[in-house]
Amino acid sequence: MTVRRALSRAVDAYRLLTLVYAAILVIADHHQYGRPRLGWVLLGVMGAWSGVATFGYARMSRRIPVLLVADVGVAAGMVLATLAVQTSARIDAGAPTLPAAWVAASVMACAVFAGPWGGALAGVAVSAADIAERGAVTAHTFNGVVLLLLAGGLGGYLVRHAVAAEASVADASRKIAAVGERERLAREIHDSTLQVLALIARRGREIAGPTGELAELAAAQESSLRALVTSDPPTSGGSGAADLRSRLIALGSARVSVATPADPVELPAALCEAVLAAVGEALSNVDRHAGPEARAWILVESAEGAVTISVRDDGSGIAADRLETANGEGRIGVAQSIVGRIHAVGGTVTIDSQPGRGTEVEINVPR
Amino acid sequence: MSLDETPRAADEAIRVMVVDDHPIWRDAVARDLEASGLTVCGVASDVAQAVRVATATRPDVVVLDLHLPDGSGVDVARQLASLDPTPKILVLSASGEQPDVLDAVAAGATGYLVKSASTADLVAAVHATARGEAVFTPGLAALLLGEYSRLSTGGDPATPSLTARETEILRLVAKGYTYPQIAERLVLSLRTVQNHVQNTLTKLQLHNKAQLVRYALEQGLDAESD
Repeated sequence: MTVRRALSRAVDAYRLLTLVYAAILVIADHHQYGRPRLGWVLLGVMGAWSGVATFGYARMSRRIPVLLVADVGVAAGMVLATLAVQTSARIDAGAPTLPAAWVAASVMACAVFAGPWGGALAGVAVSAADIAERGAVTAHTFNGVVLLLLAGGLGGYLVRHAVAAEASVADASRKIAAVGERERLAREIHDSTLQVLALIARRGREIAGPTGELAELAAAQESSLRALVTSDPPTSGGSGAADLRSRLIALGSARVSVATPADPVELPAALCEAVLAAVGEALSNVDRHAGPEARAWILVESAEGAVTISVRDDGSGIAADRLETANGEGRIGVAQSIVGRIHAVGGTVTIDSQPGRGTEVEINVPR
Repeated sequence: MSLDETPRAADEAIRVMVVDDHPIWRDAVARDLEASGLTVCGVASDVAQAVRVATATRPDVVVLDLHLPDGSGVDVARQLASLDPTPKILVLSASGEQPDVLDAVAAGATGYLVKSASTADLVAAVHATARGEAVFTPGLAALLLGEYSRLSTGGDPATPSLTARETEILRLVAKGYTYPQIAERLVLSLRTVQNHVQNTLTKLQLHNKAQLVRYALEQGLDAESD
């Protein structure tokens, strides 16, 4: 049952109890009424309307707005009808209105279905009828007005928050279910597919020849599948934070090792994207220039005020003086593009390379 | 010189136990190890069996998967720590179980290798583990760097920390440098590099033991005061 439905049922119960109270008042006071028969008729109308409202709200149909307006109208009408039933002497003496506390049910229904403003508006309408019936604002009516406005406005405010909380709980449990399913799949894949792929890679390499190529394919599949089931689903914490760790783990392959701390490394999304783009360029630089056998290692270190990402390869490397001067070479362009991206987000880059000793790009960004 | 410090005779095979719940994989690893001249004294597929078989067969090295049907390889590592002599533990696992890897290391494992490693790497790692050397992947080095960094922010003076040299070496391991490459780069002996790496593990294990003792004492004191 939704929060709104539960509260609507509470309003139904209140409506029934206050109807009984109104009936008791009529039974006790009818011999003092100016027109007792009209009193009984109006009590019958209240009973009938209580049934209609209870049934109507339970269906939660699109016609609820109409029902709310009618509900407030009936309540206000009952208050004004007191003028026709009671003697003016008794009204001046402070006798209760004919429906008494029953009118608050319509205000609460507006709070439940139309929020704080709808609730407050209904409160104002019923209060106006109350004041009109009494002909003046007495201490008694003033109390009633305050209570009605409280029930409508504050009640609606609380309902709105409860409904929002209900939605976020439902959202959270959907997410938990999705994560659970993901973990189950990851376990399954880990238990079967990954084991078999690893075994094929292992045996295939020993046999060599064309089987060796199959082995490399299996190894590549194994590591990308492993990266897929290992990396956490992309988290989008409302603050726009992104987990650099899981994004980098996804870059792992047979030739690229990714070493990270055990916990997520949260960065602002824009910063995370800049780092990923820079790392991507460093890796494609390895692909293009470091030689076909080159391997690469990515290391992520997270300190309190900064995150350091290094991308090292064991490829051919370049001499330091050429790194400085030879603008014509493609990889220098890449190096500059990496530096440019990281400088733009307030970080620093050092590139260290020696012929025959590979290249290391170290990216440092504040967090 | 006590008995277990006696240099192992060249022809005395290292006794290995393989713990993995996947039979095809486990048997393949066991065959590879046998083929390289090691003695596989037992295999197990879950935590309870691993502890039983290890107690009965006293392996020198346990090649341990962390992912087991009735628990984690970490439980195996913890329970084997009470055996005397304590078997050396080499974790051979998927790279996915990162917090588990740290727990296994804290519980006494001295090596970590991912399953995609070649047979030659695995055999070399088993030999190194048997000799008491720490077997590191870049991934394990990064996990340790992260763990020490996490511990250092706690502000507790009793927590272990790395020396500048240890941090430097661990970072190089994490970037894929081999021990000989690190030795050459830092102009140190290979032995010194190995010792530094070993120390980073030992400090964490001692810290873990001290915490367990402290926990046990607190529990004990609580029990008495009840």
